[in-house]
Amino acid sequence: MTKTLLAVTIAGLLFSGSAGAEELLIIANPSVNVTAPLSFGEIAAIYLLRTIAWPDGSRIIPVNREAGSEARTNFTARVLQEDNASLTIYWNEMHFMGKMPPVVQQSEQAMLAFVQSVPGSVGYISASMAPVNVKVLARVP
Amino acid sequence: MNRRRPLRYRDASRVAVLSCVLCLIGRGARADADYELGHGIDVGPINFAGYSDLVANVPSRGTGSLVLNDLSLFVSGHIGQLFNPFTEVELADLGLIHARAAPGDDHGTGDLVLERLYNDSYLSDSITLRLGKMLAPVGEWNVIHAAPLVLTTVRPAVTYRNFSEYATGISVLYSDPSARFPDFQVYWQPSGEFSERPSHLTVHQYRGVAGVHVSFPLGLLDKLGFSFQHSKDVLGVDQSLLGTDYHYSVGQLTLQGEGTYSDISDNGVIHNHDTEWAAYAAASYTVAEQWSVYAWYEGFLDRTAPSTAQDVLLGIAYKYEPALVAKLEYLQNIGGQPVNRTGLYASFSVLF
Repeated sequence: MTKTLLAVTIAGLLFSGSAGAEELLIIANPSVNVTAPLSFGEIAAIYLLRTIAWPDGSRIIPVNREAGSEARTNFTARVLQEDNASLTIYWNEMHFMGKMPPVVQQSEQAMLAFVQSVPGSVGYISASMAPVNVKVLARVP
Repeated sequence: MNRRRPLRYRDASRVAVLSCVLCLIGRGARADADYELGHGIDVGPINFAGYSDLVANVPSRGTGSLVLNDLSLFVSGHIGQLFNPFTEVELADLGLIHARAAPGDDHGTGDLVLERLYNDSYLSDSITLRLGKMLAPVGEWNVIHAAPLVLTTVRPAVTYRNFSEYATGISVLYSDPSARFPDFQVYWQPSGEFSERPSHLTVHQYRGVAGVHVSFPLGLLDKLGFSFQHSKDVLGVDQSLLGTDYHYSVGQLTLQGEGTYSDISDNGVIHNHDTEWAAYAAASYTVAEQWSVYAWYEGFLDRTAPSTAQDVLLGIAYKYEPALVAKLEYLQNIGGQPVNRTGLYASFSVLF
């Protein structure tokens, strides 16, 4: 009986955690000329530095939230589908090989402001935030 | 340890001036971003980064030393589709305490070394044209050799000693954005190497190099690679090398290794062997978030050595952050003429 209660409790916590994960919007600077929506694979290719230029040849500047933030954790799990430790090692290796890892912004407001102002940038915010002066490339439920 | 090539101070000054000029180009896009250790500092479209590696060595025979093994600065510019320069200059092998083993020994005096100086042009979203001096992609260690990024303080000989570590010339790199196909890089160095290191710093000096590396991605960090490199050294000796490298993780366990086999023409130069082979196999295990233990074995048969050198290494690493690592390890030579000295090694390295 105790085991059953424990299992139900854990399942409930997992379910509530999943349901509670906030929807994300993938946003880009208005100058970005690309057909939305992008697939998760295309977004992952940007953040894994395998796609480094938009179709018009302009440079992509991926933007990440700070390590440990809920938004970054959700984005990493749902879009990149990699663990944070491996990603950090990967980005450090890519940086040493001449590719630029995603830049980091410490808050949702800072992320939005950066993407609004920097041509070629792409980032993510929670869907509860108004995507003003940015282009929405995808939704992450 | 790594082999270095000195850069004349006049050349270094030119590189520094070039870097400063590049800083003035463009406006600050990434400069608005927050600093993250290991990602460098952005000034406009230019990124300044580097790493340092402090190594203490207590050999079983001879004098111990404390050496600034590397103080490296790498600068990358992302100006446009066709102009993306990259350079890496480092101060290498600077002895701080008891670095000279004997009078006349050049070790520990410090060398300013040009590691890389090239431009990348992105011809498409999967093809890059590289011109200049670059690291030759033989195995994985040689192209990701920054101390905080590699497994151990002591570098297995197979990862640098019996092939050309650099190529000065042209290279084409292919990388499929969706990673459906293997990555590959072909490269060609038609003559001598730019800013070549003198003979006292290297075993071989090369006059022509060509090669290819193919890497099959098995995961974000996991891969299986194959290398071929043909080279001709300053003595006219031809060498054809075949190599393989792998990196594979299962849970907390990571396996990695490299192996090479070379066919060597004698061309009048006396060798003990017409072939040369080497391999290392390593395992590391993450015991806690910041702690890991590791070990490797290496066999190395140099063309001039009478028998195969065999080394075993055991170590422990503490990662305060992924870009800030302390390592303590012990290497034991168990056969053949040693390439690395038996003893205790400790290092502290940071990628900044």
